[in-house]
Amino acid sequence: MKDFEYVAPVMAEEALSLLSQYKEEAKIIAGGQSMLVVMRQGLLAPEVVVDVKGITALDYMTYDEREGLKIGALTTHRAIETSPLIQKQFRVLSEMERNLATIQTRNWGTIGGNLCHGDPAGDPAPVLIVLGAMLKLRKLTGERIVAMEDFSRDILEVDLEPSEMLIEIQVPPPRPHTGTAHEKLMVMQGDAGIVGAAVSITLKPGNGICEDARIVLSNAASIPLRAKEAERCLAGRAIDGDLLTEAGEVASKEASPPSDVHASEEYRREMIKVFVKRVANKALERAKLEVR
Amino acid sequence: MKGEPKELKITVNGKTYELKVKAKALLSDVLRKDLKLTGVKRGCLESTCGVCTVILDGKAVRSCSILALQANGHEVTTIEGLAQGDKLHPIQQAFIDHGAIECGFCIPGRVMMAKALLDENPNPTREEVRLAMQGVLCADAGYVKQIEAVEIAAEKMRGGE
Amino acid sequence: MAEKKQKVKKQKTKKPDIAKPTVILKEEELSVIGKPIPRVDARLKVTGEAKYAADMEAADMLWGAIKRSPHPHARILHIDTSKAERLPGVKAVVTGKDFGGFKWGWSRETRDEEPLATAKVRYLYEGVAAVAAIDEDIAEEACDLIEVEYEPLPGVFDPFEAMKEGAPLVHEDRKGNICVEYHWNFGDVEKAFAESYLVREDTFQTPRMAKGYIEPPAVLAYWPDSTHLTVIPAKGSPYFPYRILSNCFNLPLSNVRIIQPFVGADFGGTKNDMVSCDFSAPMLAKKSGKPVKIVYTQFEELTTCLRRHPMWVTMKTGVTKDGRLKAIQNKVISDGGAYTRMSPLSNFLTGICMALPYKLPNFKTEMHCYFTNNPSSAAMRGHGIYHTRFAGDVQMDMIAEELGIDPVEMRLRNAIENPKPGKIYETINKLHLATCGVEECVEKVAEAIRWEEKKKDERVRGSRAYGIGFACGTYLSGTKLSGHNACAAMVRICEDGSVNYITGASDVGQGSDTVMCAMVAEVLGIGLEDIDIKRVDTAHTPVDPGSYGSRVTVLAGEAAINAAKDAKRALLEVAAKEFGVKPEEMDIKNKRAFVKANPEMSIPWARLVRMACYTTPGMVIIGRGQSSRGISTYGLADFTTGIGDIGTNYSFTAQAQEVEVDLETGVVKCTDNSVIAHDCGFPLNPPAVDTQVVGGAYHPGVGAALYCEFKMDKGLTLNPNLVDYKLPRAYEAPMTQVIHVITNDPFGPFGAKEASEGSTCTAPPAVINAIHDAAGVWIKDLPAKPEKVFWALKEKREKGKK
Repeated sequence: MKDFEYVAPVMAEEALSLLSQYKEEAKIIAGGQSMLVVMRQGLLAPEVVVDVKGITALDYMTYDEREGLKIGALTTHRAIETSPLIQKQFRVLSEMERNLATIQTRNWGTIGGNLCHGDPAGDPAPVLIVLGAMLKLRKLTGERIVAMEDFSRDILEVDLEPSEMLIEIQVPPPRPHTGTAHEKLMVMQGDAGIVGAAVSITLKPGNGICEDARIVLSNAASIPLRAKEAERCLAGRAIDGDLLTEAGEVASKEASPPSDVHASEEYRREMIKVFVKRVANKALERAKLEVR
Repeated sequence: MKGEPKELKITVNGKTYELKVKAKALLSDVLRKDLKLTGVKRGCLESTCGVCTVILDGKAVRSCSILALQANGHEVTTIEGLAQGDKLHPIQQAFIDHGAIECGFCIPGRVMMAKALLDENPNPTREEVRLAMQGVLCADAGYVKQIEAVEIAAEKMRGGE
Repeated sequence: MAEKKQKVKKQKTKKPDIAKPTVILKEEELSVIGKPIPRVDARLKVTGEAKYAADMEAADMLWGAIKRSPHPHARILHIDTSKAERLPGVKAVVTGKDFGGFKWGWSRETRDEEPLATAKVRYLYEGVAAVAAIDEDIAEEACDLIEVEYEPLPGVFDPFEAMKEGAPLVHEDRKGNICVEYHWNFGDVEKAFAESYLVREDTFQTPRMAKGYIEPPAVLAYWPDSTHLTVIPAKGSPYFPYRILSNCFNLPLSNVRIIQPFVGADFGGTKNDMVSCDFSAPMLAKKSGKPVKIVYTQFEELTTCLRRHPMWVTMKTGVTKDGRLKAIQNKVISDGGAYTRMSPLSNFLTGICMALPYKLPNFKTEMHCYFTNNPSSAAMRGHGIYHTRFAGDVQMDMIAEELGIDPVEMRLRNAIENPKPGKIYETINKLHLATCGVEECVEKVAEAIRWEEKKKDERVRGSRAYGIGFACGTYLSGTKLSGHNACAAMVRICEDGSVNYITGASDVGQGSDTVMCAMVAEVLGIGLEDIDIKRVDTAHTPVDPGSYGSRVTVLAGEAAINAAKDAKRALLEVAAKEFGVKPEEMDIKNKRAFVKANPEMSIPWARLVRMACYTTPGMVIIGRGQSSRGISTYGLADFTTGIGDIGTNYSFTAQAQEVEVDLETGVVKCTDNSVIAHDCGFPLNPPAVDTQVVGGAYHPGVGAALYCEFKMDKGLTLNPNLVDYKLPRAYEAPMTQVIHVITNDPFGPFGAKEASEGSTCTAPPAVINAIHDAAGVWIKDLPAKPEKVFWALKEKREKGKK
């Protein structure tokens, strides 16, 4: 790993000031669970590393019924996984975190670091997208809100300017008659999913028709893929097994999954079919039971 | 200045040290080389094997995946800090008594992982023990005795026999 | 390629000498052996005090790094180290030329490898130079400054490319890229096939695997003076570097001191063989005049160090109508990688035990190992036998299915029966068994897993299917290869009654140190706590080939016992004089020497020792012992013909494993319904046998079956880290139950045979057979990754529709 200048601000403003000063020369490190490996491999060699892990003010989780959930960017995966609040209001987030890498990684790695890393195989992004999450980005001169769905640009590339920092993840309160689920295809517990699916189903009260469906896939394209065609299959329909199968097949066609040492493109397409169906079914069951 | 050593104040196994380290130094490097705590093993340096696991502020972390400077002002416990003089920690004793140690290379990291688990959750299910052990690779023992040793230690620590 | 074949002197196969068994005590008379024995090194390991090679330090130490080739096959035209030498902090740079043309290899005939390449590199990242500097960063930076001009050459990357007419040659003097070949023929397979009720031929494939230990190779080397070399390496067979470095540096053996640290597992290859750092560190230390330490990264381990051969096994088997084996004909093709290494042995082992554990009257095999421009292949737990045992036990189930025979019944019909006491079973290729517990192993696992009940169960439950698979295995124990395999031990009794066990044998985690000490304690009649082991330091310990070939317990054990007996004899002579009896009339138990006929006539251990030590001024009680079984009991195996014992005795294993198959994704998981019955003769330390058997089945066994393979692209390893190369983990580990089958082998110490390489051989076929039992598909090329299983299931569904 190459040497670098190192600064450890304790306040967000300080960090932003440094980013504004160094711009492209600087990179933020939070937990470093993704970044250090890349730096050791020589794929990333910033001149300045701005260590934000000590900005404790960005480590929080709050919830109210009106504003919804607000997670500070430096909240660790493990904190989200084990939070009684999360388990109560957004169980899917806790479930997703439980399958993410290993406990050691989750103890130090942060949700913000994960999202800004922009790995299309990552788990948090698809779940946050189906939950309708928004991201608060800040730089010295101001703030902007970006939809989670719009954050990813390409593999390992997100909509974050060099002088910007992710401050907060905002998740709207859970909608009624909505169920959300996430699963990924693992060979071993903690694997990056060969493919993964996050699904949210909202039902019309009374007749059980699907009012809204959101399906987002991981490791199915160069960014977390919102399978809009597949969603259209389900919206406005009564969902049964055959419809879910159809949705899976449509999603599979929308995707452009990679081929790598773990799986071929063809197999990933087949698994998209399976996981869209499985996870949508789970989300449907939860919607029926009003499980948060 | 790039490469210029920076001050690091860190409490390790109850003792506070003031060191000068390069910014890029990993926590595992500082523990092993500067503090001679070679119980912290060096396996992969790329967060895949977990034998470098230590406890940082009560949480198990892979010390190869943390910049040493990130531990500035924090508390670290390594395997060397577990026993009280001659008296082994119940987890250590359980690993010995249950025959859960083979080549021993993964044991320091594994025992620290187990300690972090039991400190947080004194009555883990087998599933939870497996999840904790998932983060530390072994090459030889098949994990069975190790999982059982953690359960035995947990029971001992809860007051059972 | 006759001149290149491994030549072993043909010896007349002598009748085994079973009148002199090693078992000396009945089970109920044992004090230490046979009971749970806490490991002597457990405390050091669990407190972090145990030091491994990478933990070693020396004053003024330098760090070394290896400069590696970016081409898998290339001529080296020019190396310019000047820039590296000028980098501040660099203290020495060496290239291949510094070794003066030295070449080495597993045996005299196969010395084809250099410490650092000089004329040609033959695999990607092969070492061409090395640097020693004041820290790791500078050493790495200096490597980058070494300029090497290469002429890339076309390469061959699997045996099928390598065997083609006109293919590029990995070694110019090795036509056809053949590393080693064997052609063996026993009985008359053609006639047997003609007479068989059923003949079937299938091709199986085993994957390219990493050894899987977590500790990367590491070494610290220094020259106490210009003619003495000291090396502290992560090696399970320290006497190999001892001899090889003596040759390399032209030093008498007595000037080469290898001190063995704790070793983080071995599994054969790399840690019981040499890699670039093992030569470079001493050479850099010589040049710089300072100690040099090199620690490989995990990347270096996974891309350059020795691997398990991938093999293609085409097996043709003929059986009678009731499923009894009549003949097996094998064709084995393996990828030996860039250098010969241990390939002769690895390939030999695929055939030598084919007539175990089932009765086999006719056997023919053709084995070809090819050079390729890949990292070299070498030994790995389950060495050689695992490949053909996998094929054999899966094909046995295929045959059983065709004939409508239950898989357990099939195995019982074919199993070799346990010879009656005093009798020997001889295989068609003249292996000799005094004990064979495989029948009992099969019965016990079938019973423990409740096969009679479970075989009636519905396999498919929703989107998952469950099935149970069986397999049997065998492994040689106490490898007999040549005089190199004899070993010795010493037992020194200190004047205060404490005892040193001085050995050249290595414990790489399998627990041999503990068992050796226990045997010494048992023979001397004292407690385990009274024994202190003096580990390998070639300046002081007697020679021993180290941890490989499942030899430590059996052969080093014999040496330990003989050394203890020798020391005991000296003590009893003194005691006997005291009591006016003959030494044979006395014994020592519970730390008292006593007259057998009149136990009140006794003397406590400590007092006896003091007496013995002071009878003559300067008297020292040292018992010496050696093992002879490694070379003398039966004839040595002949590599050319496949005749003769490769082991002193043979272990037997049976496994029953349940799996869960996700029918929609193809993901296969082992469930906790997992039982292994192991005949290791007599379990000297039962908990250690348990862990070894479980671990042997899981890591290299289930690993091969479900998870592990290196993916290659023209010599480039595509998954060189321990996440993309899926080393087996805790969450997926089955809580395997181990059953001990006791056969009391007369040729092992206290009746013991090897433990756990047999289970490495049973796990892969058991898992594959279980997948078939669950879901009706045969996965013949390992690992059974989800994608493979998925396509197989899809194909089966489509066939079913037609």
